[in-house]
Amino acid sequence: MKLNSKGLILLVFTLVLSLVVAGCGSTNNTEGNSSDSSKKNVKLDFVWFSDGDEGKVMENIIADYEKENTNVDIQLIEVAYNDLSTKLKTMVSGGKPPALARISTTEIGSFSNFAVDLGEQLDGVDTFTSQFIDSIKPYYVIDNKVVASPMDVTANGIIYNKTLFDQAGVAVPTSSDDIWTWDEFNASLKEVMEKSDAKYGLVWDFTPHRWSTLLYQFGGSMINSEGTEGTINNEAGIEAVNYFKKMHDDGIIPKSIWLGGENPNNLFRTGTVAAHLSGNWMVSNYKDITDFEWGVTYMPIAKNRSSVPGGKFVMAFQKSGVEEEAANFIAYLSSKEVNSKFNQESLFMSPRKDSADLDYAFGKEMFAIFADELNNTIPAAAEDWSKQTIVPKFSSDLKDGLVEVLAEGATAEEMLNDINDRINEAIANAK
Amino acid sequence: MASQPNLITKKKRKLQIAPYLFVLPNLLIFTVFIVVPTLLGVIYSFHNYDGLNPMKFSGFDNYAYIFTDDKFWSTLGKTLTYAIIVVPLIYACSLGVAILLVQQVIMKGFFRAIFYWPTMISFIIVGLTWRWIFGELGIINAVMVAFDYEQITFLANPFFAKVAVIIAAVWSRLGFFMVLFVAGLLAIPKDFYEAAHLDGASKVKAFFHITLPLLKPTTLLVVMLSMIEAFKAYPLMFALTGGGPNKATTYIVQYIYETGFAKQELGLASAMSVVLFIIITIFTVLQFKLTKGGEN
Repeated sequence: MKLNSKGLILLVFTLVLSLVVAGCGSTNNTEGNSSDSSKKNVKLDFVWFSDGDEGKVMENIIADYEKENTNVDIQLIEVAYNDLSTKLKTMVSGGKPPALARISTTEIGSFSNFAVDLGEQLDGVDTFTSQFIDSIKPYYVIDNKVVASPMDVTANGIIYNKTLFDQAGVAVPTSSDDIWTWDEFNASLKEVMEKSDAKYGLVWDFTPHRWSTLLYQFGGSMINSEGTEGTINNEAGIEAVNYFKKMHDDGIIPKSIWLGGENPNNLFRTGTVAAHLSGNWMVSNYKDITDFEWGVTYMPIAKNRSSVPGGKFVMAFQKSGVEEEAANFIAYLSSKEVNSKFNQESLFMSPRKDSADLDYAFGKEMFAIFADELNNTIPAAAEDWSKQTIVPKFSSDLKDGLVEVLAEGATAEEMLNDINDRINEAIANAK
Repeated sequence: MASQPNLITKKKRKLQIAPYLFVLPNLLIFTVFIVVPTLLGVIYSFHNYDGLNPMKFSGFDNYAYIFTDDKFWSTLGKTLTYAIIVVPLIYACSLGVAILLVQQVIMKGFFRAIFYWPTMISFIIVGLTWRWIFGELGIINAVMVAFDYEQITFLANPFFAKVAVIIAAVWSRLGFFMVLFVAGLLAIPKDFYEAAHLDGASKVKAFFHITLPLLKPTTLLVVMLSMIEAFKAYPLMFALTGGGPNKATTYIVQYIYETGFAKQELGLASAMSVVLFIIITIFTVLQFKLTKGGEN
């Protein structure tokens, strides 16, 4: 074979081009007609991530659905949560969106322009949304378009080490009528630290979302209800930051989490931590703990009682070629029976109004407390965190800013003024 | 008679083409996965782009923003400081170990393997491993508690966190550069040392006047590679300190990553990558020029 330099360049170019073309090629999700009916055989790619055992539960649900709908083949594509956004961006911007994806509140805003309007595909916006609790509506209804369907709902709350509290002789609130103030809670934690084997009073997840629980309880918010202006630097915000710092300075919260990146779950599992401010998903995570007893109690009150609602959703994507079939599967997932099965077996909380009281095999009373936290949540919490075209522009700065205050690199006022400027800038850019 | 030179030319041509065919697979992969994305990155850098919605052309806005972004430059400064500390340490430690392991030592191969093994572990695992040593629940603290000492939250202290990152980085890369130095040391003719010994030169003198000068090409390679690595360091810090405390160990690649993926500003992050690419290129060219390409 003769190859001069021109020929070689041509060969390289052709090979590169063929690789690029191969990479950009698309496969059709429709696989021809089934022999027994007029329905086409379709394959639905379902991008999925798991926090616990819910992947296995979903596999069973899919198997049931495929038995009833023999023309549908649903492929679960499991990814790590950290890779979810990048994976979906690659698929969508590459022109090959999946039929479905499980997403959290963090991703909804970014992908909403590419979502199938489920209100249009199913029973209309009002009928569809009336099935679910109202507090999470701002997350999945954007510009009167239903961009995703809620699968489970989350609430922030407090998990405590019952063994340590019993050892110290400190009682926790058992009803929403006798909950602690924050000062009372801190005093109780100090007492537990003094009178038991507790090394730390409280571990607090290293996320701005979990910190914001305190913000809402102190009467603050990040953005005004019209969504036109930042409000995080008001008096309530400053008070919340300073209180958070005080708990670190008093040694109640170990600095190793927010300053050293230590995992609060691992610390709580050592049995030397009195309480963990996290969310209901930790019930499933902690259920294997046998070294000590633990439970869930009510979060303290400041100006308000409040949690921060969140959840996981299923989104169907435009241009997948199987939008209708994807919407039908979402309707199946959202039904009372299937949604209840998913949440009950996964140890999650259902977003459906008629499935609040599930018969969990573990921790039924704990879920009742989380549900109570959710029912006592101020609207600002969902309104703020549902603005997912704006929140990602400042949330990592807020996290860094809180750390800066804890490390005494800035005052609460300075930090929050800076964050407020970023919020206003993000709002202006989003217009 | 005229066909003879023609045959030779054909053979010559074939021989000239062969090397290109050998590098072709790598060239293809390099082009598709490095060159094309790099060019796309340059294009993104002139746009407002979140990775999903249509790009909006913004001219030099992203670059103008970078030049006024104090955090970008302070992070770059921190990265430079890290590189200035870690590169000489990697150089000295890998050269020191290489010198020890070219001697007649029992179980030389085993010791070389011990030092080399960490280079085969991913940076994420290296970070997690050292987290189990320096962390709140780590071995050092467990030992300190066992001996009734107060716990030290190493990774919550900016100084100790930086030290931990440097120790982990040196540990994980020492073996790779040691192998380069072993090859360099074995290539130095023994006659030079024998002649120096006969002339009464001490081992220290021989090291500074024979070993170091003759290792110049290897030194250039080690310094250049470790400098580039130091500027690109991210996964190790991500796993060990998460970039904290208070951004003390957040270096430039993590800053770019956070801008691109946490803040969803891929256009700006691409512009930052272009600036970093230019800076690394300038450093590399300067090093190359200053050391005259590593020639002795």
